[in-house]
Amino acid sequence: MTTTASNTDRTSEAHRSSEPILSVRDLTITFPASRGGRGGRQDGGLTVLDALSLEVHDGEFVAVLGPSGCGKSTLLRALGGLLDARARVEGTIAVPSDASGRRATAWMPQRDGLLPWRRAMANAMVGAIAAGVPRDRAKPRAQHLFKEFGLTGFERAWPHELSGGMRQRLALLRTCLAERPVLLLDEPFGGLDPVTRRRMNAWLATVHLTEKAAAADAEVGDASKSGSGVVLVTHDIDEAMTLADRIVVLSDRPGRVVHEARAQQRRGERYDRGALLSALDC
Amino acid sequence: MRIGDLPPFVLPSPSQVVATAIEQAPLLGQHVATTATEAVLGLAMGTMLGWLLAVLTSAFPTSGQISQPVVLLSQTIPTVVLAPLMILWAGYGLTPKVTLVALTVFFPVLVAATAAIRDVDAEYSDTVAGLGGGKVHQLLLVRLPASVPGALAGLRIAATYAVGAAVVSEYLAGESGIGVFIQRSRKAYAVDQIFVGIALIAILSALMVAAIVALRRVATPWQINLVST
Repeated sequence: MTTTASNTDRTSEAHRSSEPILSVRDLTITFPASRGGRGGRQDGGLTVLDALSLEVHDGEFVAVLGPSGCGKSTLLRALGGLLDARARVEGTIAVPSDASGRRATAWMPQRDGLLPWRRAMANAMVGAIAAGVPRDRAKPRAQHLFKEFGLTGFERAWPHELSGGMRQRLALLRTCLAERPVLLLDEPFGGLDPVTRRRMNAWLATVHLTEKAAAADAEVGDASKSGSGVVLVTHDIDEAMTLADRIVVLSDRPGRVVHEARAQQRRGERYDRGALLSALDC
Repeated sequence: MRIGDLPPFVLPSPSQVVATAIEQAPLLGQHVATTATEAVLGLAMGTMLGWLLAVLTSAFPTSGQISQPVVLLSQTIPTVVLAPLMILWAGYGLTPKVTLVALTVFFPVLVAATAAIRDVDAEYSDTVAGLGGGKVHQLLLVRLPASVPGALAGLRIAATYAVGAAVVSEYLAGESGIGVFIQRSRKAYAVDQIFVGIALIAILSALMVAAIVALRRVATPWQINLVST
């Protein structure tokens, strides 16, 4: 079942009318069966996603909500071009690419992925280096973002010297420095305590709004800009409700879209929690 | 100190060995310098070889599958068997001895560096790739630095072999070195001098291990606090 709330704001209307910047059509992903396969595996292997379709429009923050093991992370890895080469992929995935033909996405893993041998500033710069952002542009931005993200004074700290929240902020900062239009966030705050997690969600909301405004400014003078968006994978309903413009609920494995809801900006609560919870229980 | 009734020319006392070392000091300097040069150069060459092979085989797994049996087989051949071939091909100079040391030490470096890369590779490589990084970025940002602690751990083990390998190669050919000194002492039945040679091998090996421990602190500063906690 796919439902859409009727009371949408102007931004959501714009989303529906514009061309999506990222789209997935009938995506089915199957991993080959291993020897002595466990329960849930069929002869043809383990199907993780089943005919899944998803679109992200310019400026949109989409949360993919679902139970553990439903294929959320696999979906994000597929969007980021990080799927295991052995996986069998059916359907189409269309993601934006930059001028050099590279995938214009930046992926943030569940674990922060900070390189233990690089200090905090050097770790942040990994985003810029990997994405090919010139150093003379990335470094001042990194210094500015260290202040914005409350990491000033920790530029020369090793990752193991930072708290869990600081590490996640640094990982998010690194992702921002890649300057890719589409952010793919895989349960970025999953390992944090509830208080830190709430703070980090506030950070992320701020970052998204800032990036959105910056992208809008840039678009005025750059007609070729492909737009921006965020795909957040989470199993935390509150996180999804707080951050997302739209929530897509996946079923248990193999993951299928069972419910879709848009934020209702003019009501007390942005989403119908009951409908989301019942979709999760399907 | 005397053990039983063994005469000094069979088992000299430690004091006699020390006295001989002091007496032979001017002569020993050159021998120690030769062996140390062979061991250090061989260690450097073997480390580079093992480290590069570890990084390359992790970046190109097929090359690893091809080279692994050859590398394993090469380790079954004793140094003492290879030495005459090296001398035949490279002469009596420094080259065959340095090559023999390098062949002896590269294996522990290769094994330890490969294990270090394998332990961290997937997570960090994916992070870099997920940000738009290609194979070169993964090599420079992940595999190369990830291999350093492993390479150094292997180097510490290799350092204990290096001096021994240099001495073995000197046994077979050479005009200078601790191996040559021991050989000459053996022919002269100067057992006290043989013990001086053995002590020098042990001291030189210990110094090399200490140098590598110091190098490890400089080369992997992110691990200093991890080790102490």
